[in-house]
Amino acid sequence: MAQWHEVATVADLKVRKKKAVVVDGTPVALFYINGKVYALNDICIHEQRNLSKGAILFGKVVCPGHQWKFDPETGEPDDQDGCQPTYAVQIGESGAVSVSLESRAVVS
Amino acid sequence: MTAVRTVAIVGGGQAASVATRTLRRRGYDGSIVIFGDEPHRPYQRPPLSKEYLAEGDGSGLFLLPEDWTATHDVDVHTSARVMALDAGAGRLVLEDGTTAQADAILLATGGRPRRLPGVEGSPVHYLRTKADADSLRASIGPGARVVIVGAGFIGAEVASSALSLGADVTVIEAAGVPLQRVLGEQLGAVCAGIQRDANVDLRTGVAVNEVREEGENVVVDTSDGPIVGDVAVVAIGILPNQELAEASGLVVGNGIHVDEYCRTSVPSVYAAGDVANQLHPLLGVRLRVEHFDNASKQAAVAANNILGRHTRSEDPHWFWSDQFGVNLQCVGHPSDSDEVILRGDLESRDFTAFFLHEGKIRAAFSMNRGDDIAVARELITMGASVPSATLADTDMDLFDALEMA
Repeated sequence: MAQWHEVATVADLKVRKKKAVVVDGTPVALFYINGKVYALNDICIHEQRNLSKGAILFGKVVCPGHQWKFDPETGEPDDQDGCQPTYAVQIGESGAVSVSLESRAVVS
Repeated sequence: MTAVRTVAIVGGGQAASVATRTLRRRGYDGSIVIFGDEPHRPYQRPPLSKEYLAEGDGSGLFLLPEDWTATHDVDVHTSARVMALDAGAGRLVLEDGTTAQADAILLATGGRPRRLPGVEGSPVHYLRTKADADSLRASIGPGARVVIVGAGFIGAEVASSALSLGADVTVIEAAGVPLQRVLGEQLGAVCAGIQRDANVDLRTGVAVNEVREEGENVVVDTSDGPIVGDVAVVAIGILPNQELAEASGLVVGNGIHVDEYCRTSVPSVYAAGDVANQLHPLLGVRLRVEHFDNASKQAAVAANNILGRHTRSEDPHWFWSDQFGVNLQCVGHPSDSDEVILRGDLESRDFTAFFLHEGKIRAAFSMNRGDDIAVARELITMGASVPSATLADTDMDLFDALEMA
């Protein structure tokens, strides 16, 4: 059973586009991309930079460290091996954003 | 055009690996043979001056693990030097006399360090290969006096890694500031600042006359007097390994000449990476670029074109450096710009400098602002003009500028 943690509001993310939060000790980067909220592990699998300090370009999350581009849905990087962990996101009726440390793919 | 069934790759570095993976990703199921002249399977070079030198951890180094090449039926030959190429016939001759035949050949022979004349001997190091990094690492310990000739990216990264190993580091640079030719006076001075703050004894505007062994010491004779060390590292650039191509009649000149499809002057022979001198569509000039990302991009382009998928190599060039805890990135070509706009703060090393030419963004250089670089790359590709006030104001979202451009 997924455990949900309320970490942000949609209204806030709409303005900021990205936000770093900590869920149960795990650093998580939230992104607002094309009307959807995504949660990925904040620490890039490549060289441990913060994805939350990156850019959002054409629907992808771009790591500021070495420009790896991640699909926010799957965590898969363009032309690279490995996979950035993604987490399930739930939006409450009031616009509250909750994250579970279950994989996005598993929950959805 | 008959379908390509055999691809031979000369060289076993980043370009060879990316070309191989691209060929398989695109569904090519013919044979792939890689000939690398080093004793190691393909590995990446960027960590050799950074993490690998500082920490000795080689786990992330190798690019085509054996289980991957076994699964994907890729034939990797190590310590296999190609001695001759019959470009028209698609035939390679190896050092041991064996030959290989291929429908398409990718030359990814890279480069070798430019050497100072007369400068050899055990305390004098050059850095290009894993073996070079291993031998350099073995000679640097706490208190070792390391003298580095050249304050470019490799020199600065070696300095940063040597410091983290506890060495005393002196860097000698002929220009007035590091990276002067690329970045100019002001930004080069910021690069000098991060070295000096980290405790590097950086001597700029100093020419090296001679490096010699004196007993246990290595002495670097400079225009500023002699500098005595235990280890000297010469980091003054590389020369392209173009001899094989040249001997086989391909057009060369500061590298192997290729067009935007990474094709050499002979059909079915391609070149990529440090050795390739490419006509760049975005810039309209020939350039030989010695960076990881360029090697990856050109290799992917060559692989696509080998398979008949018309693809051009036309992205702005991008490179990075990690040194002294600062992440440096540059995209595009700062040279021949007529205006520089600063976004952020030089002092705190949190900035991006935009290089404009007649109002259009040509290049961007950042310290610790890699998110700007992602957007800048798009703006450069578009040849966009963005109001200077927007570029200079960190409260203005660059992505909005991209959407409006």
